[in-house]
Amino acid sequence: MSLRWNYGRARDAAPAASPVSKRFSDQLIAMLPRLRRFAAGLTRSASEADDLVQAACERALAREHQFQEGTRFDSWMFRIVQTIWIDQLRAREIRKEDGDIAEERLGSDEPVRRVEARLALSEVRRAVSLLPPEQRVTLMLVTVEGLSYKQAAEVTGVPVGTIMSRLARARIALQQRLEAGDGERGSASDAKA
Amino acid sequence: MQKHSDEALVAYLDGELDAEERAHVEAWLGADPGVRDRLLALSETAGLLRGAFAEIAGEPVPERLLAAARGETASAGEAEIVVLRPTRDSQPPAPSRRWHIQLASAAGLFGLVVGLGAGYLGGNTLAPSGGLTARQVQTAAVNNWLDNAAGDYKLMVNAGGDALVDVPASGDNGDVLQKISQNLPQQVRLPDLKPWGLSFRGARLVVVDGRPAAQLIYNTDNKAIGPLALIIGSTKQPDIAPTFERRQDLNLLYWRHQGRASVLVGQSEIGYLWGIANDVAWQLDAI
Repeated sequence: MSLRWNYGRARDAAPAASPVSKRFSDQLIAMLPRLRRFAAGLTRSASEADDLVQAACERALAREHQFQEGTRFDSWMFRIVQTIWIDQLRAREIRKEDGDIAEERLGSDEPVRRVEARLALSEVRRAVSLLPPEQRVTLMLVTVEGLSYKQAAEVTGVPVGTIMSRLARARIALQQRLEAGDGERGSASDAKA
Repeated sequence: MQKHSDEALVAYLDGELDAEERAHVEAWLGADPGVRDRLLALSETAGLLRGAFAEIAGEPVPERLLAAARGETASAGEAEIVVLRPTRDSQPPAPSRRWHIQLASAAGLFGLVVGLGAGYLGGNTLAPSGGLTARQVQTAAVNNWLDNAAGDYKLMVNAGGDALVDVPASGDNGDVLQKISQNLPQQVRLPDLKPWGLSFRGARLVVVDGRPAAQLIYNTDNKAIGPLALIIGSTKQPDIAPTFERRQDLNLLYWRHQGRASVLVGQSEIGYLWGIANDVAWQLDAI
C-alpha cells in the first residue's frame, strides 16, 4: 500500500463572526478598487496596501451595525482605512521602515527606455509617500478620490479649514518635490502635518 | 483663509470657493502672471497625481480581498496553511527527487505543512512504500501552482547566482530553449526583456499546474524590477486574462492563453509587472 497525499485546509472551519448581509458585502466589493487606490497612496507597497484594505474589510464587517443607512458608504470606509493606517503607523514606528523601503526601491540608475513612463508615475507615488501622513490622507481623499473638502473633513475628523491648509501644503510640497526630482532621492518624512 | 494665498489657489482649482472668493482669486490671477504660472503648475501636479494612481483602480482585485469583503477570511496577512493528509490509494512510484525538493522548498517558504520525512528527500529515488510519487506531487502541484511558482522563485533567489539553473544562458539561446523544451509538451519561446533591463540567465525545469514547465530566469541590477522568473507551461484549462496575486512578499501575474499557462513572479512593482506581462504575452503570441 502506498500513500496518496490529499489537501485538507487547516482553516476550512474559520467562520465569519456574524452573518454578512449581501447588500453590505456587495457595497464593500464595489468599493475595493477605490480602497486599494486610496491605500496605495498611504502605504509604500502594493502588498501593504492590500493588507490594509483587507484589515479594513474585516473591521467594516465586524462593525456593519455601526454604519448608518443614508450616509456615504465610501466616506465610512475611507475613515476605517485611514484609522487603521494611522494606528499601524503609530504602532510600528513606520518612519524608519518607510525610509528603508524607499531606499531599497530606488534601484540603479540603469537606463531602461521602455519604463520611462512608468518611472514618471512611480516618481509621483514616491513624492506622495514623502509627505506627512495627514497630508497624504487629505491629498488622496480630495485630489484622487474626489471627495469635497467637507466630506474629507468628516472622514478625517478635522475642520474644513484644516483640510484646506493640509491640502495646500501637500500640493505645494508635491509640486516642489517633483520639480526637484526629490521623489526619487528623498527620504521619508512622517512628521506631523 | 487669506484671499491671496496658496490655500485660496488650491481651493479655487478644487471648486471649493464661493462666488465672492472666486472673484477675488480671479482678480489676483489677472493682476499677477506669476500667480497664473503657479496655478497652472498646481493644476498639472494634480493631473499627474490622479494619473499615478489611476491604474490601481483598474487592476483586478485580488481574490483574498474579495473573500475578505464577503466575510470569508481570517485575519489579514496570514498565509494560508495547507495540510497534506495521507489517504489510501495505490500509485506507481516515479523517480523524481528534484520535484520533491522543489515542493519541500515551497512548503518551507509558504507555510505548507508537509507530512513527509527527511528520508524521502535523501535518496535519488523514492521507496515504493510510504513515499511520494511524482504523480502524487503533481497532484499537489495542481492545487498549488501559484505557491509552487512562488516557491520556485524563492528557491532560485535564495540559492543565488545560477546555482539552480539547468540550462544556463549562452551565446545561442536557441540551443538553451531546445534543451529545455525536450522535456516539455511544446517548444518554448524566449521573450526578449532587454528593453526592461532584464538579462536572460538561464532556464530550469519545474512543475506548474501539475505539468512540467520551463522557468526562464531574468536578472537585473534594478531592484524595482528584478530578478524575475517567467514560468511557461501547457494547460488544458480555459483562457484567463492576466490576474494578479500575492504570495507573501512576491507579486505574481498569471494568465492562460491557447493552451499555454504563464506566470510572472518577482518582487517587481506591480506596475512594471503588468507592463512586462503585456510584453511577454505579445511576444509569446507573435507568429
